[in-house]
Amino acid sequence: MAGAVAAGRRRRGASSSTPSPAPSRPGARGRRLSFDRVSLMVVFLGLPFAFYVVMVLYPFTQATYYSVTAWTGFSPEQPFVGLDNYVRLAGDAQFLNSLGNSLTLLVVVPAVTLVLSFALACVLTFGGSTAGAVRGLRGTAFYRVVSFFPYVVPAIVIGIIWSQVYNPSNGLLNGLLVGVGLDGFTDFAWLGQASTAMAATIAVIVWAFVGFYMVLFVAAIQNIDPELFEAARLDGAGRVRTALSIALPGIAGSVRTAYVYMGILALDAFVYMQALNPTGGPESSTLVVTQQVFTTAFAQGQFGIACAMGVVLAVVTLVFVGLVFGVARLLGVRGGARA
Amino acid sequence: MTGTTRRTVQRRNFLKALTAGAVVTPFGLSLASCAAGGSGPSEGGGGGGATGAVTDTNPFGVAADSTVEAIIFDGGYGTDYASFAANLLQENQDGVTVDVTGSTQIAQQMQPRFVGGNPPDLLDNSGANAIGISTIAAQLEDLQEVIDAVNTEGTPIADTLYPNVLGVGQFDGRLVAINYVLTVYALWYSQTLFDANGWTAPQTWDDALALGAAAQEQGKYLFTWGREAASYFLTMALDSAIKEGGDEVRLQMANLQADAWSGEAITGVLAAMEQVVANGYMRPGGAGTQFTQAQAQWSQAQEALLYPSGSWIENEMADATADDFQMTGAPAPTVTADAALPYAAINNTPNEPFAVPSQGANAAGGKEMLRVMLSPETATEFARTKLASTIVAGTIPEDAFGSTALAAQVSMLEAAGTDTFNYNFVATYGMTADVNVLWNSFLSGDSDAAALAEGMQALFDRIREDDSVEKVEVS
Repeated sequence: MAGAVAAGRRRRGASSSTPSPAPSRPGARGRRLSFDRVSLMVVFLGLPFAFYVVMVLYPFTQATYYSVTAWTGFSPEQPFVGLDNYVRLAGDAQFLNSLGNSLTLLVVVPAVTLVLSFALACVLTFGGSTAGAVRGLRGTAFYRVVSFFPYVVPAIVIGIIWSQVYNPSNGLLNGLLVGVGLDGFTDFAWLGQASTAMAATIAVIVWAFVGFYMVLFVAAIQNIDPELFEAARLDGAGRVRTALSIALPGIAGSVRTAYVYMGILALDAFVYMQALNPTGGPESSTLVVTQQVFTTAFAQGQFGIACAMGVVLAVVTLVFVGLVFGVARLLGVRGGARA
Repeated sequence: MTGTTRRTVQRRNFLKALTAGAVVTPFGLSLASCAAGGSGPSEGGGGGGATGAVTDTNPFGVAADSTVEAIIFDGGYGTDYASFAANLLQENQDGVTVDVTGSTQIAQQMQPRFVGGNPPDLLDNSGANAIGISTIAAQLEDLQEVIDAVNTEGTPIADTLYPNVLGVGQFDGRLVAINYVLTVYALWYSQTLFDANGWTAPQTWDDALALGAAAQEQGKYLFTWGREAASYFLTMALDSAIKEGGDEVRLQMANLQADAWSGEAITGVLAAMEQVVANGYMRPGGAGTQFTQAQAQWSQAQEALLYPSGSWIENEMADATADDFQMTGAPAPTVTADAALPYAAINNTPNEPFAVPSQGANAAGGKEMLRVMLSPETATEFARTKLASTIVAGTIPEDAFGSTALAAQVSMLEAAGTDTFNYNFVATYGMTADVNVLWNSFLSGDSDAAALAEGMQALFDRIREDDSVEKVEVS
């Protein structure tokens, strides 16, 4: 290891005249298998790849195989049933409902979270006084720390805290609403009504992440050349125009990455759902696919079908990620390096 | 941008997308795969592990110096009662050691072991994460042997049990699980509160409605409920319907028959319950309330008069029960005064199913552990420390160790005599989640009796017509 590093350093010194950051000069691309080249490949390519195969690709393939069997999960027998499980899922109202709920989360959660985060980040970076240099609100550092708090708290704890806040009889929310004279909210079950359960749940997930992405966007906006903001202001751009025309394009790469991460989180959402709506919510209005996978596998002993659900979810995830990258490409978003 | 860098970026994006997609989301996918493990031996047959000589004090032939592994659900009853039995077994059998391990994740932890062919010797398959027992029934020992054996005092175990307590462990004519704790399902209330107001427990649904009106005058509700435990109201409704229409109703329900939810008995019960909801006798907000909080509204704040539950309720709410709350139970009400079964009839479905996997390393040891647990000594210790009865009769003294709820259980059991019934289909088919959805809506007033019956029937039909679900014929 130490030898390889030293050798690398020596070589970089030797090729310091070329602008390329690659470890070897373009001219020297011959496949000479020197010791440090091989050891570098083993350590930085071979090991991670082996890890990836064992921990990601293998389970993935295995689960895909189980999805075409009628495995109960508790016996060694795995009778092959072809695509029966998928056909069954296509006609299973409960599964389609949970898939619909997952897709609702996928659409709403990232959008709401990122719009809010972006707005807050703008306020904190250039939403301050219009006199003097471009700056954020007074007390920016304080707001940043405070809004980051929820991200530090584990998801399960957030779920438990909010299920208390939403408690119909002695929760904080109804207490406040009734306190200001809205008597209609006495014993109102936010998580117990099909009309409000999903929205109330989404609010919790958004609450948990909005601060984190705000901090991320603040950092990204601060990377934009401040002269652009000065110039925009001199040209008479207001704060909204500055946000949309300077800040947003400037951090598009970060937004895209954040969108992918939030989307994947929304498709999972298992912990929040188990803490807030362990029964799947009123009329199954908050039941998500990951919960369905869990109960189908462990409570009903149908691992084959559960794996099929998992595969469907994986495909949805890949399609989603592909769409985000595809749309970003059409819009000409660059900045892959920030991802 | 040169061609080379473009290609690099594309490749990187692709890899990134693939990795992100593969790593994060398919939670269940990797969960399922991790658990698969080896393929294990094909079929063990009649009980695994070496056995020793069969004697009067060692009826299953536990091998000397062997080890017994017992996995005990670490829930409301803890695991110390199993450790108590383990100590007795170790004294009785030469050099045998028992490892008692608590678990709250039974299905998740046992799944790879069943697949891998190395299950424990004794399993308490209970709690929210219990294995749907029909999926492993074929891999379990027939425990009739244990019931036919004599207990540690020399009495045949079969002669020491309460009536009708083994049926729920039967699958295809084999006794694959012995449900250890006798659960009496009842309507629970504070005798103190009832005495102070001159109330009595409702014997019919008309009585219940009258009691609801009396409660409303005092700003109280008749019932409260919590979202995870809405299914307790299903139990109460079924108990009531079975008493009204007789054993036929129980069979229709337990066998998920096509017209089970249109019978006169169940329709009568649901109509009465719909009235309870419509009159505002249910404490509002239950569908959004965690069940132990809802139970505290009854036992601590006393905002509601009655709570339908199993006899574990006293132990469960021990820390959240008001002082001077003499917890007492009454049988579920009937619809009419001339019901098929007497008012005193009760649902005594035992809980905590103990099973002995055939492929366990020491199946004989697992059975011996059960034999010790069914001995009067262990059963009495259980009743004394948990304030709950096992299926072994006659272990509870007159004063019921000072517990009014336990005393009420014993008197309900005595009053019922052989008019006891039980069923287990909700747990057998893993229906609790679906049932809770339907009952939460009904109890909130968002749906009515007709919609509830229709939903329950649809649930029954779906499971009955699903060939991939192993059915249990109940008779």
